[in-house]
Amino acid sequence: MESFKEGILQVVSKIKSSVLLDTKELDSIIRELQRALLKADVEVKLVLEISERIKKRFLEEEHPPGFSKKDVLIKILYDELVNLLGGETTEELAIKPIPYKIMLVGIEGSGKTTTAGKIANYFKKKGYRVGLVAADTYRPGAYDQLKMLAESVGVMFYGDPQERDAVSLAKKGIETLEKAGAQIIIIDTAGRHKDENSLMEEVKVLYRELKPNSVFLVVDATQGSAVARQARAFREAVPYGYVVVSKMDGSAKGGGALSAVAASNARVLFIGVGEKIDDLEPFVPRKFVARLLGMPDLDAILQRFA
Amino acid sequence: MPSFSLKNVLKSFVEELAYTELDPKAVEEVSSTYVLKLVEEGVALEVAESIFRDLSERISGKKVGRLENKKEIILKEFRRLLEDLFSQAGKIDIWQRTAEAIRQKGYFTIVFLGPNGHGKTTTVAKLANLYKEKGYRVTIAAADTFRAGAIEQAQYWASKIGADFVSLGYDADPAAVAYEAVKRGEKGLSQVVLIDTAGRMHTKKNLMDEMRKIVRVSQPDLKIFVGDALVGNDAVEQAKTFYNEVGFDGSILTKFDADTKGGAALSIVYITRKPIIFVGVGQGIRDLKEFDPEWYLEMLLD
Ligand SMILES: Nc1nc2c(ncn2[C@@H]2O[C@H](COP(=O)(O)OP(=O)(O)OP(=O)(O)O)[C@@H](O)[C@H]2O)c(=O)[nH]1
Ligand SMILES: Nc1nc2c(ncn2[C@@H]2O[C@H](COP(=O)(O)OP(=O)(O)OP(=O)(O)O)[C@@H](O)[C@H]2O)c(=O)[nH]1
Ligand SMILES: [Mg+2]
Ligand SMILES: [Mg+2]
Repeated sequence: MESFKEGILQVVSKIKSSVLLDTKELDSIIRELQRALLKADVEVKLVLEISERIKKRFLEEEHPPGFSKKDVLIKILYDELVNLLGGETTEELAIKPIPYKIMLVGIEGSGKTTTAGKIANYFKKKGYRVGLVAADTYRPGAYDQLKMLAESVGVMFYGDPQERDAVSLAKKGIETLEKAGAQIIIIDTAGRHKDENSLMEEVKVLYRELKPNSVFLVVDATQGSAVARQARAFREAVPYGYVVVSKMDGSAKGGGALSAVAASNARVLFIGVGEKIDDLEPFVPRKFVARLLGMPDLDAILQRFA
Repeated sequence: MPSFSLKNVLKSFVEELAYTELDPKAVEEVSSTYVLKLVEEGVALEVAESIFRDLSERISGKKVGRLENKKEIILKEFRRLLEDLFSQAGKIDIWQRTAEAIRQKGYFTIVFLGPNGHGKTTTVAKLANLYKEKGYRVTIAAADTFRAGAIEQAQYWASKIGADFVSLGYDADPAAVAYEAVKRGEKGLSQVVLIDTAGRMHTKKNLMDEMRKIVRVSQPDLKIFVGDALVGNDAVEQAKTFYNEVGFDGSILTKFDADTKGGAALSIVYITRKPIIFVGVGQGIRDLKEFDPEWYLEMLLD
C-alpha cells in the first residue's frame, strides 16, 4: 500500500493548512474516528478513503448552525458509512418468481447452514412453503446438520449423503422440492475460501447450472478485514447480491463484514444474533453503524439533524 | 501458508528509522505509520500499538555509538522483543506431555474450546489422526450436544480415523459426556481422550459457565483454545475472555491457508502469553502443522 502513509498524513496536513478551522481539534477527531473504524476491522484502505471524503465534505459543505464540529463530523461519517451499506432503508427481498431459489455461499464455518435454517424459518413464518437442499457434499455431518434444522423448523428437505456431486444433487433437489410445491428453495453449499481452486470452480458451476434467483454471501462478523479479499473473490466466482452477517451476538463490531459489503456492492439483508433458529434479524443500517463506531448515543446525535 | 508481508512491513520500518535519530519522538513518529501497516496484516490495533510502544521504549533508551549501525540495532531489538514475547509464551511439547501423563496415570485428556465455527471439531479429528499414527488408543468425546449435526460430524471422523467414540446424544449434559470419555481413560480403555465442545460466544455467560463445568468434571491435562486466523480485532476480546473465564494452556489457529497474513497469531500470543501449538492449513485430516516460533520469526524478520 504505497499511498498509505500519504493518505493519513494528507488528511491531517490538509486540515492543518486550513486557516478557518481549529485544526488541532479536527485532527484529533478524525484520528479518533479512524481508530474506531480500524478497531472495528474496517479495511485500512477503506478507512483512508472515508477519511478523505469526510474531510472534503467537512471543508466544503455548509455546516448547519447550532452543531458542534464533532457532531457534524460524526454525521458526515455516518452518512458515508450508510452509503457503503447501500442507504438507510432496510432491504426487503422480493420473492418473485415462484419457486424462488436462494443459494448460500461463504467461507468455512461462516454460518451458512445455520443461516439456511434461520431463513427457512423466517419465510415459513411469512407463510411460504419452504424447502432446503443440502448441497454441501464435502463437510462431514453437513447433511445431518441441515436435515435436523429442516425438521426443527418444519420445512421440506432434500439431501443424499451418498451423492458426492453437489451439482447433480442440487439439481435433483430443486426438481424434487419444486414438484412437492416448494415456493422458496434454499440451497446450502460447502464452505470454501478463495485459494481452494477446485471448490471455487465448483461454486461457479453450481451458479451456472442452478441459476439461483439470488445468492447470499454469509460473512462471519468476528472475522477481520481479510474477509474483504474473500468477498471480492466470491464476487468474481458468483455474482452474489446479498450478504448475511452472522455472529453479531459476540463482541465483534462487524467492520470486516462492512468492508466485504463495500468490496462487492451487495446489500445486507439479515444479521445473525445467536445459534438458535429465531436468532435472525432484518438488517438495520443505523444500528449497525452505531455498533461499528461504538457509539450507542449515535441515534440521539442523528435525531437532532433530522 | 500465508504470504508473510509482515516481513516487508518491518523491513521498511527499519529502513525508515535508520535515517532518523533514535530519539523517542522520531521513533514514535515513524512507528505510528507502521502500526497501521501491522493492522493491515491482521494484527489487532491495540496489539500493534503496544508492540511498537514496546519497541520505541527499547530503542529510545539506546545509545548509538558512532561506528554502530543503527539499522542493525533496531532490527536486533525488534527480534529480541518478539523472541521475548514467544519465549514468555513458552512451548508445549504435546507428545512429551502425552507420554508423561500416560506413564503417570495411564491417559492424557485434552479439552478444546473456542468460538462458533472456528474449527474445533476438525482440529480434534486432525489431532486424533496424529495420535493414531503414533500408535495411541484414542477416544473422541462428542461433548457438543447442541449444534445440529455436531455428533454425526465427530462420529464420521472418529470412524474414519479408527478412534473410539463417546456420545450421549443431543441435549445431554456436555460435562456428562466428557466424564464418560475420561472414564474410558481411567479404565485403561483409552490413552488419549479428546473432548470436542460446542462453539460459543465469549459474551454468553451461561455458556462460559457450562465450559467451566466441562473442565471441572474432566480435569484435562491440557486445554486448547481453537481460534480462526481470519479473526481481526476481536481476537483480543475472544482470547482475553476465554482465557480469564475458563483458562487455556495454548492455542491452535485454523484456516491459515485462507489468505491471511499471520497477524492473528501475533495478537493471540501477545494477549495470552500462551504458545500457539499448531496451525490448521486446510480441511483435510493431515492439514495440521506444528507451529514453530523460530520459523515464524524468521519469516517476520528475514
Ligand atoms: N453465536 C452465533 N453463532 C452462530 C451464528 N450463526 C451461526 N453460528 C454458529 O457458527 C457455527 C458454524 O455455523 P455453520 O452454519 O455450521 O457454518 P457453515 O458456514 O455452514 O460451515 P461450513 O459448512 O463448515 O462451511 C455453528 O456453531 C453455528 O451454531 C450466529 O449468528 N451467532
Ligand atoms: N480451509 C480450512 N478450513 C478449515 C480449517 N479448519 C477447519 N476448517 C473448516 O471450517 C469449518 C468449521 O470447522 P469445524 O471443525 O466444524 O468448526 P467448529 O469450531 O467445530 O464449529 P462449531 O462446533 O459449530 O462451533 C469446516 O468446514 C472445516 O472444514 C483449516 O485449517 N483450513
Ligand atoms: Mg455448512
Ligand atoms: Mg464443532
